[in-house]
Amino acid sequence: MTLLEFARGPGLQWALWIFLFGVLWRVVGAMYLLGTKDLSKFRSKHYVRDGLRAVLTRSAPAEAFEKKIRFQHLTGYAWHLALFISVLFFAPHILFFESVLGFGWPHLPNTVILVTAAIATATLIALLIRRATHPVQRLISNADDYISVLAVLMPLVSGILAFAHVGARYETLLAIHLLTVEFMLVWYPFSKLMHTFMTIPSRYQTGTFFGHRGVKA
Amino acid sequence: MNTQASSVLESVQALEKSLEQVEATVEREGLPDDERVRRAKKAFLRKLDGRKAVDLDTCIHCGMCAEACPFYETTQDERYAPVNKYHLLRRFYRREVSPMRPVFRPFTRDITIDDLREWRHYVFDACTGCARCDMICPMGINVSSLIRIVREGIGAADLMPPRLQRLKTEQAEKNSIVGVDGQKLREIADQLADQGIDVPLDKDGAEIMMLTTSMEMRSFPSALAANAKILNKAGANWTMFPEACESANLGYVAGDTAAMRVAVKRIVDKAKQHSIKTVVLPETGHGYQVLRWLGANTVGEQLPFEVLSIIEFIIREQGEGRLALKQGGAGTSVAYQDPCRLSRKGGILQEPRDILESMGFELRETEYHGREDYCCGGGCGEYVLSTGSELRHKVFALKKGLFEDTGADKVVTACASCRYNFLIGAEKSGWEKPIISLSETVAEQLAD
Repeated sequence: MTLLEFARGPGLQWALWIFLFGVLWRVVGAMYLLGTKDLSKFRSKHYVRDGLRAVLTRSAPAEAFEKKIRFQHLTGYAWHLALFISVLFFAPHILFFESVLGFGWPHLPNTVILVTAAIATATLIALLIRRATHPVQRLISNADDYISVLAVLMPLVSGILAFAHVGARYETLLAIHLLTVEFMLVWYPFSKLMHTFMTIPSRYQTGTFFGHRGVKA
Repeated sequence: MNTQASSVLESVQALEKSLEQVEATVEREGLPDDERVRRAKKAFLRKLDGRKAVDLDTCIHCGMCAEACPFYETTQDERYAPVNKYHLLRRFYRREVSPMRPVFRPFTRDITIDDLREWRHYVFDACTGCARCDMICPMGINVSSLIRIVREGIGAADLMPPRLQRLKTEQAEKNSIVGVDGQKLREIADQLADQGIDVPLDKDGAEIMMLTTSMEMRSFPSALAANAKILNKAGANWTMFPEACESANLGYVAGDTAAMRVAVKRIVDKAKQHSIKTVVLPETGHGYQVLRWLGANTVGEQLPFEVLSIIEFIIREQGEGRLALKQGGAGTSVAYQDPCRLSRKGGILQEPRDILESMGFELRETEYHGREDYCCGGGCGEYVLSTGSELRHKVFALKKGLFEDTGADKVVTACASCRYNFLIGAEKSGWEKPIISLSETVAEQLAD
């Protein structure tokens, strides 16, 4: 079995299983912790409206705070958008998703993907530098913060190298790219990358908490 | 300083002196360190539920919450970032509670007695639980509720600041705060009766039970008189019970849930005993938070009466035509200080503004107001802590600048802690802006 065959076969399968089981375990496990019922008399009982409002409005900072968090806000958007475009609209990726899901969708030109991948890489590096230098982030950061950045940075860099055929044979570069993706999948459920699945519930419950008290959160 | 502030300044200073008499430096002996740690962990465990787990698992350590915290903003000390204030809880969660704990445990340090002592400074001296951080978090984490659990853990370990330790014990055991109890209320009621202001005590058949605070009785009896005038003018069937008149809750402030329950139960039991329909709170932020939002959960049953702040009472009576106010505020501009636990954590945002405008005042908002207003720096018992005085005066300086920017003639607030903190800050910095109470202002404008 070649390195590429391993990466495409059992490596990918195991990584996906660990990812799926780990994510499910952590999400269900966290939510399974029972809470006590709030007995106070609520000012508002529009749970869904209050919760959904927070889910939506937290995607943009409140005007009062915007100036202070502009850098993180903009780089956050740049990073996530560039990443999603690179992952979801690159032709070879779509072929892979089609083989798994049974359907595909239109792709973007390779040059566009190259630009978005470069933007994602650059913003991630900028955020990494900020984490290592900003006093608050430096104080609160742990191994998870740095390893998680590396876990998503490696597939990006290896993907760009494979796309450009730079540094080794294409098959080797592709195998490395797949292995870095698999590392990210395995790392995912144990890391802060879990925020992907937790953000909406967290925003929702805070929206309802403050909504009960008549405050738009 | 304006006349009104001058008249209360002496009593404010007297309270500060009284607090200085309370032992402030010695940590109570008695519990071994490992027992303190065990108690803190037990308190953490009791409060960690699915909601908190989701919040803790969502944090990406972006540090944006620091930008909302007045203590971080005025010091730039990274230890005061809200995310750092709940770091202990996150460590405990990952080691002991998370579904991934078998994996996390070997890589996560256990909590030590030194940690508890270090975090005591962060969650008592440098946090008023103002919840401004809750408004900025892009992940929607209820940050202040996590910090609150750390405060309760340290409270359970009996490691709260010694002054709070003394005060909450005094309230739980003697039903007094810094020596002020129901007897003081009787004295004030007698004095007010001489002035023609009726304060009915222990009245059977009353529908409304009015509360006060020891701070009000000691430093702002004019606010108590104002509330009485308002209730009388509205024709309310009301009373006060000297045995259960205190709405401040030092147990809550100190993070001691057992002591908090004792004080809440005094009010609830008395209200139930007299079939009270409405309990009205005076100008207090944390007192409102405790009874209105935490009271039912504290006693384990829905409260059989409604809980209103004096602001809500005024706006309700105005709306129903029982309380008419004069337009004496015309020509005067005011800036309103939103008490955190009434506004951001209590939902009373528009009502005080409507009341001020109904009296003709020109409302000038600070750059940050309403949901995003800064804490006064002295909320949630911060104002009694000698260890936090330097920090809260820095926050006061921030507030002072914001008020100055509005050019308003006066600052109005509806919380005795905000008022006290501002008056002390104003005195120390030579600031002459009048700082006034909303309910006292309303009482001055009661129509004939």
